[in-house]
Amino acid sequence: MRKWGLALALVAAVPMSACVQTRQFADVQFTPPQGDYKLLVLRPDVSVGSLTTGGMVEPRADWTEQARTNIIAALRAQQATRGGKLHILERRNQLPGVSEQEVADFERLFYAVGQSIVLHKYLGEYLPTKRRQGLDWTLGEDAVRLGQKTGYDYALFLHAEDSVASGGRVALGVLGLAGCFVGFCAPNVGGSSQLDYAGLVDLKTGEVVWFNVVSASSQVPGIAFGDLRSPQGAAQMVDRLLNRMKPGQAVRRARAASQN
Amino acid sequence: MCARCLEVSRRSLLVGGGVAAASLATGVAQARVLPRDMVPLVGPGYKPTEKDEQGIWQLMDRAEEEIAGSNLLMTDPKLTGYLRDLIGKVGGPAARDFRIYLAHIPEFNAMMFPTGFAVIFSGLLLRMRSEAQLAGVIAHESGHFLRRHMIRSWRDQRRKSDIFAIAAMAAGVGGAAGGAYLGDYVQLAQLGTVLSLFQYSRAMEAEADAMGVKLIAEAGYPPIEMANVWQQLIGEETASARYRRKRRRRGSLFDTHPSPDSRMADLKLSAAEVTVPGRAYDDGRARYLSAIAAIRPMMLEDQVKLNDPGASQYLIETLAQDGWNGLLRYYEGEVWRLRNRRGDDARAALSYAAAVAYSDAPADAWRWHGISLMKAGRMSEARSAFARYLTMKPDASDAAWVRQMIG
Repeated sequence: MRKWGLALALVAAVPMSACVQTRQFADVQFTPPQGDYKLLVLRPDVSVGSLTTGGMVEPRADWTEQARTNIIAALRAQQATRGGKLHILERRNQLPGVSEQEVADFERLFYAVGQSIVLHKYLGEYLPTKRRQGLDWTLGEDAVRLGQKTGYDYALFLHAEDSVASGGRVALGVLGLAGCFVGFCAPNVGGSSQLDYAGLVDLKTGEVVWFNVVSASSQVPGIAFGDLRSPQGAAQMVDRLLNRMKPGQAVRRARAASQN
Repeated sequence: MCARCLEVSRRSLLVGGGVAAASLATGVAQARVLPRDMVPLVGPGYKPTEKDEQGIWQLMDRAEEEIAGSNLLMTDPKLTGYLRDLIGKVGGPAARDFRIYLAHIPEFNAMMFPTGFAVIFSGLLLRMRSEAQLAGVIAHESGHFLRRHMIRSWRDQRRKSDIFAIAAMAAGVGGAAGGAYLGDYVQLAQLGTVLSLFQYSRAMEAEADAMGVKLIAEAGYPPIEMANVWQQLIGEETASARYRRKRRRRGSLFDTHPSPDSRMADLKLSAAEVTVPGRAYDDGRARYLSAIAAIRPMMLEDQVKLNDPGASQYLIETLAQDGWNGLLRYYEGEVWRLRNRRGDDARAALSYAAAVAYSDAPADAWRWHGISLMKAGRMSEARSAFARYLTMKPDASDAAWVRQMIG
């Protein structure tokens, strides 16, 4: 009887075991861009793969292309509501007046700075001198020069990786769940997972003014959440990642003070 | 119900596990792959048709874009053109499809990516004594592509991890249903899976060696040079370990590559097999040395600064088997000077003195020769050495200081 009780409790817990986490940081003086601004989106870094039965992620070219197309469409739709002018780079050589190499260097610089942000803001290596100072990173003069050359106000970097549980992986989870009825319970072998992050750079100051990470995963294979291969899933991802930009601490305080 | 029939005695399991592990250990030395069995599995202009391989290619195209724009690359057109021509000679049916990049990294390494681009480290070019040796390494890398190793090992990993996941789950569920604990078996199976993945990887390396020997022999290079590369590497590792008072690392079950010793032994046998009696083979040493002449000083400079005097000394002496010159003598001196043990300054002084006897001695050899003479109190000779240094390198960063020394 106890076995059955445990199994039932687990079945009840299953819908809970797909979780989405999102955490954003902003420069203390950051105000989300609104109205008449020009946004440059660097080539979205997208990869979609299939999670094999044994737990490896197998990259899939067709799914990746599909997801990138969906994300770009969702991004256009999302930005249209905010009033900005948008230019999405699909290749590094598509920025007039800026060489491919300069775009590549700019991207690499962002990824290096992004890694540092992730390390010190998300992975627990907090810097004691930076506490409660919001996001305090910059891409420096290079970013300012890019802004002057191209006339854009902001640059947005976007990374999305998604792995979709294969049929075999789902079956493995089902087998693990079935085991609960005989006393060997392993339903949480791990299913689909998604990791997305985005960073916004102010091209007038060179500073990284906003950064957000969304991670979504299901412990139980077969439970889906925002599949990037579908337009709805991509729209949901863009919404989670970009649509809830919060202003920086100082701006929020000032607003709260003026309301009182 | 049959609860007892699944019960396993722990002792029998451990004995069985020991036997299994022992048989795997002997499996490190696997049978040699024969060059004549190595038929290319891809033709010219190969493009993947299956989903899994297409996915990997897309990822790799992105990687190539990054590597091609990396600031670690050496882009001298003469040198990169030379490498491209070389892979064109030993690349088999895909010779025209390969791309080859040279990275400024002072290590012995080269790699082939699944889509047919290779990256060669500058430390490799330093160690090669002839075009034939370099062709051997490049042909080995081509072999990985021609035998479709990346996708084959990917599929092998996928299959084995799938089987393991299902078997482990089935053992857990089945064992629970039958009332037996099979966890020990599952752990043994896990070890077995991991070991078999490494073994598969070593088998691929052995294939690439056999394919490489065949390719360079067909291109007219002496096939034994591939074995010589490994002989040099073994010598270098031994010298490096001896200096650090350690023993050279031998192959283990967890190696992705066969040990240099077994590779050298197999390559010797394979080379003898593919050598056609009476055919003239050319190792292209002169051509090679002229191709790398411009970057050799830089590569030697990188090497002596790795703080691995055992390896550096071995390497310089190996290169000097083809004849000492001012450059090699100068860097021999640098190895001693930087090692800085008792008596090393005197050794270094001898090397610098030997270096400046050659017409190709670098300016810095004259500088250090001058300093050595000065320390020995031979001021007038030191002055003329410094003067020579200043004529060769009038814009040297320390020119003012040296001028002041001459007085």
